[in-house]
Amino acid sequence: MFNFYSPSELALPARRRFLQQAGLGFGSLALASMLHNEAAAAPSPVDPLALREPNFPGKVKSIIWLFMTGGPSQVDTWDYKPELQARDGQDLAGSDAQTGFFSTSGKCLKSPFDWKQHGESGSWVSSIFPHLSQHVDKMCFLHSMHLKQNNHAPASIELMCGTNRPGLPALGAWMTYGLGSQNQNLPSYVVLHDTRPRGDDQIWSAGFLPKTYQALALDSRRNETIDNLVRDGKHSDSQQRAQLDLIKQLNQDHAATRPTQADLAARINSYELAYRMQMAAPEALDLKQESEATHKLYGMDQPECATFSRQCLLARRLVERGVRFVQIFAGKGVGGDGSVNDVPWDCHTDVEINHKSCGLHTDQPAAALLADLEARGLLDSTLVIWGGEFGRTSDSQGAKGRDHNPNGFTIWLAGAGVKGGLHYGATDPFGYKAVEKKVHVNDLHATLLKLMGLEHTQLTHRFNGRDFRLTDVGGEVLTEILT
Amino acid sequence: MPQELKPVSSPWPTSIRISSTGNSSPAESPYSTSNAARFRPAAQGMIAVSQGGFYYSYPSRVDSVPLRSCHRTVTMKIVKLIATISLSLTTLAQAADEEAVQFFEQKIRPVLVQHCYSCHSVEAQAAKKLQGGLYLDSAAGATTGGDTGPALVPGKSGESLLLKALKYDGVEMPPAGKLPDEVIADFAKWIDLGAPDPRTGTAPVKPKREIHIDEGKQWWSFLPLQEVALPDTQRPIDGFIRQAQLANGLKPNPPAGREKLIRRVYFDLIGLPPSPEQVAAFVADTSPQAFETVVDQLLASTAYGERWARHWLDTARFAESGGYEFDGFRPGAYQYRDWVIQSLNSDLPYDQFVRMQLAGDLLEPDNIHAAAATGFLVAGPFPGQITAKTVERIRYDQLDDMLMTIGGSMLGLTLGCARCHEHKYDPIPHQDYYALASTLARTAHGPRTMDINPAVTEQAQTAYQAEHDRLVAALQTFATAQSPARFLDWKSKELDKQPETSRWQALEPINADAERSYLKVLPGGIIAHNGAINPGTEIRRQGQRHSVSAAEEYRFTAQTFQKNVQSLRFDALTDKSLPQRGPGLNGDGSFQLASIKVTARPLDPLVKDPEVVLKLKPVFAAFEDKDQPLAHAADDNPGTAWVVRETAKKDNAAILELETPLPGFAGGTELSVELKFLDQGIGRLRLSLSAEPNPSTWAGDVTPQHLGELRAIVAAFPSEIPESARVPLTRWFAPFDAEAAKVILAVRDHAATTPRPNLSEVYTTIAGGQDVFYLRRGEIENKQDKAQPGFLQVLWRSTEPAQPPTTPTPVDPRVSLAQWMTDPQQGAGPLLARVIANRVWQHHFGTGIVGTPNDFGFQGDAPSHPELLEYLASELVRGGWKLKPLHRLMLLSETYQQSHEVDPENLQLDPTNKYLWHFQTRRLEAETIRDSLLAVGANLDPAMFGPSVLDDTQRRSIYLRVKRSELLPVMTLFDAPEPTQSIGERSVTTVPTQALSMMNSPFVRQQSEKFFARIKPATDAPLTSAINQGYQVAYNRLPTEVERSHMLSFIEQQRAALGPDTPESTEKALIEFCQVLLCLNEFVYID
Repeated sequence: MFNFYSPSELALPARRRFLQQAGLGFGSLALASMLHNEAAAAPSPVDPLALREPNFPGKVKSIIWLFMTGGPSQVDTWDYKPELQARDGQDLAGSDAQTGFFSTSGKCLKSPFDWKQHGESGSWVSSIFPHLSQHVDKMCFLHSMHLKQNNHAPASIELMCGTNRPGLPALGAWMTYGLGSQNQNLPSYVVLHDTRPRGDDQIWSAGFLPKTYQALALDSRRNETIDNLVRDGKHSDSQQRAQLDLIKQLNQDHAATRPTQADLAARINSYELAYRMQMAAPEALDLKQESEATHKLYGMDQPECATFSRQCLLARRLVERGVRFVQIFAGKGVGGDGSVNDVPWDCHTDVEINHKSCGLHTDQPAAALLADLEARGLLDSTLVIWGGEFGRTSDSQGAKGRDHNPNGFTIWLAGAGVKGGLHYGATDPFGYKAVEKKVHVNDLHATLLKLMGLEHTQLTHRFNGRDFRLTDVGGEVLTEILT
Repeated sequence: MPQELKPVSSPWPTSIRISSTGNSSPAESPYSTSNAARFRPAAQGMIAVSQGGFYYSYPSRVDSVPLRSCHRTVTMKIVKLIATISLSLTTLAQAADEEAVQFFEQKIRPVLVQHCYSCHSVEAQAAKKLQGGLYLDSAAGATTGGDTGPALVPGKSGESLLLKALKYDGVEMPPAGKLPDEVIADFAKWIDLGAPDPRTGTAPVKPKREIHIDEGKQWWSFLPLQEVALPDTQRPIDGFIRQAQLANGLKPNPPAGREKLIRRVYFDLIGLPPSPEQVAAFVADTSPQAFETVVDQLLASTAYGERWARHWLDTARFAESGGYEFDGFRPGAYQYRDWVIQSLNSDLPYDQFVRMQLAGDLLEPDNIHAAAATGFLVAGPFPGQITAKTVERIRYDQLDDMLMTIGGSMLGLTLGCARCHEHKYDPIPHQDYYALASTLARTAHGPRTMDINPAVTEQAQTAYQAEHDRLVAALQTFATAQSPARFLDWKSKELDKQPETSRWQALEPINADAERSYLKVLPGGIIAHNGAINPGTEIRRQGQRHSVSAAEEYRFTAQTFQKNVQSLRFDALTDKSLPQRGPGLNGDGSFQLASIKVTARPLDPLVKDPEVVLKLKPVFAAFEDKDQPLAHAADDNPGTAWVVRETAKKDNAAILELETPLPGFAGGTELSVELKFLDQGIGRLRLSLSAEPNPSTWAGDVTPQHLGELRAIVAAFPSEIPESARVPLTRWFAPFDAEAAKVILAVRDHAATTPRPNLSEVYTTIAGGQDVFYLRRGEIENKQDKAQPGFLQVLWRSTEPAQPPTTPTPVDPRVSLAQWMTDPQQGAGPLLARVIANRVWQHHFGTGIVGTPNDFGFQGDAPSHPELLEYLASELVRGGWKLKPLHRLMLLSETYQQSHEVDPENLQLDPTNKYLWHFQTRRLEAETIRDSLLAVGANLDPAMFGPSVLDDTQRRSIYLRVKRSELLPVMTLFDAPEPTQSIGERSVTTVPTQALSMMNSPFVRQQSEKFFARIKPATDAPLTSAINQGYQVAYNRLPTEVERSHMLSFIEQQRAALGPDTPESTEKALIEFCQVLLCLNEFVYID
């Protein structure tokens, strides 16, 4: 059975936790020795972020999810549908008024973009991705994604938390919960966003898991600052060190007479971790350390994609340093009237204007990320995911737009553990609904957990009398796509 | 024996019988297990086969699929078919003819083999691949069906779930892709032929989970409260604790030191540290009652409610927004929080506390605090953007949220687990879930605007009316006795010197009121908006409860003695106080006037002429839209209106001609004016009249009516002014007579002080909701019969009706629910008492007697001290459900007052402190940490109640805003929970970001500075005195010698690092010292 601590021991109260420490021989003696040991950086046994054994060796160490906020249109990006192109303006057979969020015309709307085949796999890609199209042989396309919710927040929650119900933990939280952190000086789950996506914190929530597993959300509009990382005003390092030494000394005295209180030791440790995080985090986020060529590769010099490129480059630096799950929420888009849209890929009025702009904002940085990860050998242990909360209708909304469509959309995975150039599952000839080898969110999660070394049915947490899991009562690993 | 089972149309309330022995007929008992037959559509009229006694026709899976989340409405890969009927197989076999069997062999069997057997066959079962408990490899398997019942209704393809699944209608089978349409058509045909199937073989019998209510009632937490033998000690609590300690070879700890004890109880009861003075006073108080005195003071303090309300708000998943898409803020939601604080402070009995939260809105309909209480039911996360596609699912999710919260917080039961199937562990049948849900059927959510204290308003109105009557009487007296003479005197000298009467004379209303506004009359006859009342506001009008409408209506009365009135003029005036300068009150300054109605009647009661509704003909408007002209206000259609939108922001005027001139009544005319609007009204308006024939232009002077009226009176009554004209005369004469002015102004000024209700918005339950139906597997697509309100059978101890209909009016199901929940004899009262007693214990001692405070079911922890819990719960009920005596009982025990120290021998014997041999050290919660930081800085704002605030204020943390998508980092950092489900026990995590906030956050820094200001030593005082004081403020004790010397050298070192030895560097060093005190564990851990 899975060597996994019981969550109730993690949570409260301390006396229950003590059982575990006793089991690990963590008595007062051990405590004392640990406190005086500089190697106390080794996490304490009750440290919720301590590294934990996976169920089996995982092929993926880190995941970067390029979250295409707003829901990109599958039939304008990766899912080429000649039938749709041929029948522009004709009735869409099987068009269902229940699909969209608003209302659609029922008439086919062809993709306004040029499509070409790329790579050895001959994968079709629309013209909005001139850079990403060069990497199709790395990508494993899941064309048959589907979920239930048809509005942004609920769908994003479903996509990240497995079901649409607020209060559930997100994928990234479950991963850290299951595996611990690979770098104690940095958070394990980082979200990079610009405008906050609909649903806000709920999309990267720790839900009923301890808050430790919540994502650290870094806002590009605030230059990815971390709260409280530096103190205002003058405060020299030696001053701070003296302060920390004193805190440590007095806290140790305090803890010595309370040997059953394991969290006291953890808290002593946490000051040391915080001290190191003060150095480690700014270093990790310091893009000036990157070469001019790298900046250029990511497109940092181009105003359209500067934000996304900075986020991609940060993501690479973070996974290099062991961060387990980085999620970038694309934050800029252009609406049909040319105005900036806070839900980027949400092309209700004009798919051409909107998607062209979204491509411009994200294509080059995302391609650069793949190239850069590959060049550094990181793609062997990192999985990059591209996709949003749902797809779009194949029939038009208004004259040129597309409505939400959760019944069939494309997500691709690239990197460690998955077969490149593979097209898994399919939508119908119009790209309207997933019909072949349908992939539900639970299946995707089961597969991602498997890649990380976790058996999805065993990763559970008891809350209010029930054992919950990310994949709810579903989830099948997509073994066909795995290497 | 076949038995015809029909839905029970029992009226609520109805009888409840708990026996399943069949001695009560299903028709009158919604609770006998046989009554599960109600899950069957009546229309089927089919035969049910009773397989030995009573059974549920919706067997539940108890296979290996784990119960992870009960909320997923659709599980994609499990066939969801539900038993609607059971059929006699022989009947089918007889019905099948040979041709049909051939059809099966050619068209059906191959498809079943190819697409279905891999998951639905005996072989699949052997390979552990069986899905949904459904076997399609035998005729019996298909008709018996899987977890959810038969796949086939022979003869009725439309009702066969197999066909639905093939059509991908709700369920999608086979999962790999939809079969071709012609194949599906074959299946339809086959089923309609009666589903002839020559395959033999039997489907393995599925294990069926059976719930035995009577056995379930024997579970410890479902029993009536038990009498327990009290130990022979002064305080029973200590006796119970000692007994267990003795039995385990443990020796009790000595009492805690007095400084520790007072710090402990302060944090425990009010969530704030004691001041050094309070500590000193307690230490000096040698009386045996010293501690009791402190406890009583704290229980009486308003801070007690602020501290303990937070515990309850966790269990109530309280937040102030909807969560989901736009996370809409609920401005009146804070009232629930305030109600909880207030209820705790006033020691509202807990049973009443529960009843008010479940049905306060119904028990006290006019009481805003009762409405605030019911905010409990609807505090959950509900989607704000709802489409037709999602409305029903969302409704059932809301009901589920309410039930889960009631279950978790009040009953310690995981009720949500019975939404889709029988509860897996506890004796809670699926049907009980829907019976309970049905008690909440008429519960919708939204804002209500109500009078905070209707009695006060009514009182004020009575007083106002009395005074008003007095002033009117004085006016009357003056008018009768003095006005005519004074007027005649003035008239003879002055009237002729007055200016000519102008064409338009502005009516001066003598009263004015409105549907959704307050109005006042300005000089010159202008009627002005004087405050809005939101639509939906509940106020009393004419002694009746009235919900304010969204359509405005102005009503006012004026008087005139003019003869032959021919035209009316209507002015809508702008003003800078109005939105967009007006004249309309809508946000864009527009108005939509739907009708103008003027009624004329005799002013003199002795004149008996009938009243006349004036027929108005639109002549002219300064601004009108051609599609929505003035004429729309004068037609008979209430749906059309004179709309002034584009031309808003300008003074507007309209002229209406009377089709028949109004001759005027003998003795004067009273004009009642009614203006109806489609939405909001006009901010400033004036009505004038003219005796001119058809004025060619609206331009020209408007003057107040008084001169014209005085002249009209003179003309009308050459000899004596009659009684009925004397008050109007006084009013119009007032501008020329100081005495008349005095009585008139007295009435007018007083009218401006009409008392208004003190309105406040509260987020709560509102009218609405829909019938609740049983849902098979919890799925909207599988709606069955309408559910009847009822309770949990396992928590019902009476053979009497649940709610006897003693009055002709039936009791609202939600009120019955509230009564059942709190009934200690026959209802859930014993469990309710155990759960709350356990919570109080948990917060005082760190862990509950039951370690799973939200789960007292079969999966929950067993009580560590069962008799103690029984004793506490019984005491609570005996004491009238008051919580403060329960606190006293616990706090005055030796067990509570013992030291935290860890005895090595005891530790060996009981490492988890299960037997409470020492007081458990624990970390403060997020709110208490922040409040303590403010308290040591002496800048905690003591203001109570009201709308929530952000953390840039110094209010107590309970008043901080709880917006679901933007929880405040200062709270979540230290484990304030996600307010989405009932939380009985917070997690305590330790992460570096907490340390960062204590070391570096501007807030902690600022509090360190304020803390320093409090302990700042006099210039010649030694540093040690500041150190001593710092310890007393932060930790309520003096430092040890070792601590003092550590601190001293630290301060010296900091001072040196900060530069030359100046008062400034000392100050800064001491601030560093203060911050170190705040960072140390002792600041956030209480022994």
